[in-house]
Amino acid sequence: MDLEVDIVVIGGGMAGLVAGIRATEEGMKTVLLRKGQSATAYSSGAIDVIGYLPGGTMPLGSPVEGLQGIASMYPLHPYGLLGFTDAEPDTVSKTIVEKVRMAVSWLKATLLGSNIPLFGDIDSNLDAVTVLGTVKPTCMIQETMWPGSLMLDADGVALFAGVRGLPVFNPRMAAQVFLEHQISNRLLPRKAGHHVLDLAPFGNNYNISSIEIARYLDNEDNLSVLAKKLKKQVERIGATHIALPPVLGFNRARENQLALQDLTGAHVFELLSFPPSVPGLRLQRGLETAFVNGGGTLLVGHHAKMESLKSNIVKKVTAVGPRRNFKISTKAVVLATGKFIGGGITGTENGIRESVFDLMTVSESFRNATSTTPQKLTNTIALSHKGHPLFGSGLSVDPQFRPITGEEVHAAENLYAAGSVLAGYNYPAEKSGLGVAIVTGYMASRNAVDYVKGVSA
Amino acid sequence: MAKYDVVVIGGGSTGTAVARDCAMRGLKILLLERDDIASATTGACAGMISSGLKYMDEPNIVDMCSDEVVNFKRIARHVMEKNPIITPLLEMSDISSGGNFAEEYSKRAETRDVPPVLFLTPEDSLKIEPTLNPDLIASIYFEEYFISPFALCMLQALDAKQHGADIKTYCEVTDILTKKGSITGVQYFNRITDKMESAKTRAIVNAAGPWAHKIAALAGAKLELRLNKGAHVILDRRVVNVGVIAKAIEGRMIYLFPHENTVLLGTTALDTWEDPDTLVASQDEIEYLLKSMEWVVPSIRDARIIRTMEGVRPLIPTWKIPEGDVTRGYEVIDHEPEGVSGLISFAGGKLVMCRHMAEAATDLVCKNFGIEAECRTHIEPLPGNSDDVDILALAKEYGVSQHTVERMRARRGTEIVMILELTRDHPEWKTTICTCEPVIEAELRYAIRATFPQTLNDLRRRIRLGTGPCQGTFCTFKAATILAEELELSGADFQLEIVDFLAERWKGKRQSIRGEQIAQEELAQGIYACVGNLDQALERLDYDLKPWEEVL
Repeated sequence: MDLEVDIVVIGGGMAGLVAGIRATEEGMKTVLLRKGQSATAYSSGAIDVIGYLPGGTMPLGSPVEGLQGIASMYPLHPYGLLGFTDAEPDTVSKTIVEKVRMAVSWLKATLLGSNIPLFGDIDSNLDAVTVLGTVKPTCMIQETMWPGSLMLDADGVALFAGVRGLPVFNPRMAAQVFLEHQISNRLLPRKAGHHVLDLAPFGNNYNISSIEIARYLDNEDNLSVLAKKLKKQVERIGATHIALPPVLGFNRARENQLALQDLTGAHVFELLSFPPSVPGLRLQRGLETAFVNGGGTLLVGHHAKMESLKSNIVKKVTAVGPRRNFKISTKAVVLATGKFIGGGITGTENGIRESVFDLMTVSESFRNATSTTPQKLTNTIALSHKGHPLFGSGLSVDPQFRPITGEEVHAAENLYAAGSVLAGYNYPAEKSGLGVAIVTGYMASRNAVDYVKGVSA
Repeated sequence: MAKYDVVVIGGGSTGTAVARDCAMRGLKILLLERDDIASATTGACAGMISSGLKYMDEPNIVDMCSDEVVNFKRIARHVMEKNPIITPLLEMSDISSGGNFAEEYSKRAETRDVPPVLFLTPEDSLKIEPTLNPDLIASIYFEEYFISPFALCMLQALDAKQHGADIKTYCEVTDILTKKGSITGVQYFNRITDKMESAKTRAIVNAAGPWAHKIAALAGAKLELRLNKGAHVILDRRVVNVGVIAKAIEGRMIYLFPHENTVLLGTTALDTWEDPDTLVASQDEIEYLLKSMEWVVPSIRDARIIRTMEGVRPLIPTWKIPEGDVTRGYEVIDHEPEGVSGLISFAGGKLVMCRHMAEAATDLVCKNFGIEAECRTHIEPLPGNSDDVDILALAKEYGVSQHTVERMRARRGTEIVMILELTRDHPEWKTTICTCEPVIEAELRYAIRATFPQTLNDLRRRIRLGTGPCQGTFCTFKAATILAEELELSGADFQLEIVDFLAERWKGKRQSIRGEQIAQEELAQGIYACVGNLDQALERLDYDLKPWEEVL
């Protein structure tokens, strides 16, 4: 089977889906290939834009503040590239902030009517609480994950409620870490309690996963069981807020949150958690639904194959599936294959490689990394605010987000890249992962659409 | 001040064996270990209790090794496995030493319950191990026993404890006290209480491995060692059915040995003067091992490397000969003739000899004390080896998977009933915490209560937490909450526990990081830095840089 489209998007995480949805909104015939599960689906579901400057140790009060810092100090950061337009030098920072605002607001509007409405904007970072009880700055979270007035309420009492047999969340330790943090930083609230609920979804009381509980709670009848148990604990300690692991459901999370609040009289919210992540999967599903509803073609379980780039224009991409291959003729390509988790970038003892087109890779500091041993791009310290340069390696792109080759010219006229396949930002340290994916996906798509409209005219 | 007959310094295979032997002979024992049980040389070995194949020129040693294998089968069969080993021959020159070895090995095979050496055709070799290079002309087949080095040390320590010994981990000896040339006591820094402590003793057995010369120096005694480092590359699963031995690029022999759920590729042998605490496997060592094994197992580079480890051998100081020609025997050195009475040190030795070394040292201690007491360490079983374990019945009775029960049995033998009993009151403790190994919560709780771990790293040595392909990505934070609950840690110490464990795992992962392990690490960074925000917590938590992190 052969397909003929305007735009092929390779990669189905945040960057690819944003690019795909935007392209369909512009009337482009779009096909998106997703090989496997994306890093977006593994994410906590919180949307970081920028939480710390590169190598920084002060949490940023707002993404705007961070973007202004990047504009002046890190011009090659993917956010910095947004300023490389025809704008005057003194408006670079403003251009970057406006482009990020546009993309982020667009995403929020896109998911407004879905079952995962978002909360927050780039004018302030939120303090999101994790299942460890730690706090991290993030830009937007799903409404079900918003702690409400918890950190403003002098009389607030947080109840950390876990589920027996769910090992990902220990409410006692989370409450302790959270309270120690708030008190040592003179923050609110000053009281927290913890409890382990006997929920036994589907009859199990051990080896339970968040996904199992989310499915259980997608059934309306099961919610009252949880509500009753929570209410008893709320009354016991006088809780004003209930922190749950992210298990409120795939389809009914928001309704469940509101219903639990009604039934318990406390504000209910989900904590940020680790894979497998229900909010990450909700985000993935929400975006895929938007893409397909907008007329896009989604090919799951297919990866793209391209022997090498010979001409200056990519005309065909082969989609390789488990039982079928097909050739897709296209006018433009958005490469959003991710980094090492997604498989867009790989590393062997011989160097760092890009997997579909074998494009030139660079290190975080933009040195050619095609034959750099991955170990050389790491620090001796496992976990530090400096991160490992390895996770800032990837593709170098021009201001149009087209990958460039060694001679600093773009690899192809109609090939654009977005998301974590890009070099120059260290998302685990900066807390900027999904934000860069959204903005670069948005811009790469816009440039691809402009290109297609130009050649079609 | 506490008074002891003997202070044993070092909690490796030899030190724990000495503590056990002395305690069983009725002596009052204190064992001091600067880190944790089996945390250095012993913890970095492949666990082979060799029948002596490398030392065919030293028949006494071969006899001793063979006898010790039989002894271990008697006292510790629950933490042992027997592995077939194939040495493929690609050309006639590979066979040079084959004849003599086969004869020596086969002579003692029956006592160890293994077949004599077999020569296999290429067809039979490939049937047993399909990953071998099909161009082989023949292969040599034999069988060797392996023991879990961590379990062995732990069980020896626990058994010593049961016989009245005091075992103190995280206690580093800072001074040895003498009076008129005789040992009177030790001073040590206790890192758990953060205090200097001391104990009186009549004798010290120095089993400090690569630090033994430094311990001897504290008493004014002289000890020379030839320190020699060795690296292992660890593969994520059993990529081979059997052990494979091959000739390395410069003619030494290297191996690929199944080990627990993994396979070990080792080892290098390089004379070293570095601080053992800072050593990691080098790029050169990793590539040397891969290049050498690639000739006989061509697909070796397709395997997923999860990490490397590096250990230091305290060899007997024979110089101006290659490492391989240094005797693998051991020496028990009484420092009395040089004017330090009561101090006994070890040099050399192998894992397989640890019990024998302990017996020799304890005999000497008893002789010096004028005590007559029989050694029983080769007769009395170690804890958990009192009976067979019915995996299928236990799995059914407690509703835990057979695989989980079997892995548990391989660590604790009959004692697993006590672990499984915990799930009667706490069915949620049947939850799998480390999915790679696997380890259930009940085993974690039991290990914390019964085997004195202080950190997650100690738990790793006891129950193999975080040793699989994910290297702690998914279990570290879960296990840390359990440790924190059991030890009543503060929130800050709980976070520090996570960061410390990740630091130790990274030490081994970093040197060989490539392929799928990079994606694995991205996931780990995603969990602990991106979401958990612990990368920003080091300063707030008073994180101490580890020795290998301070090196430029």
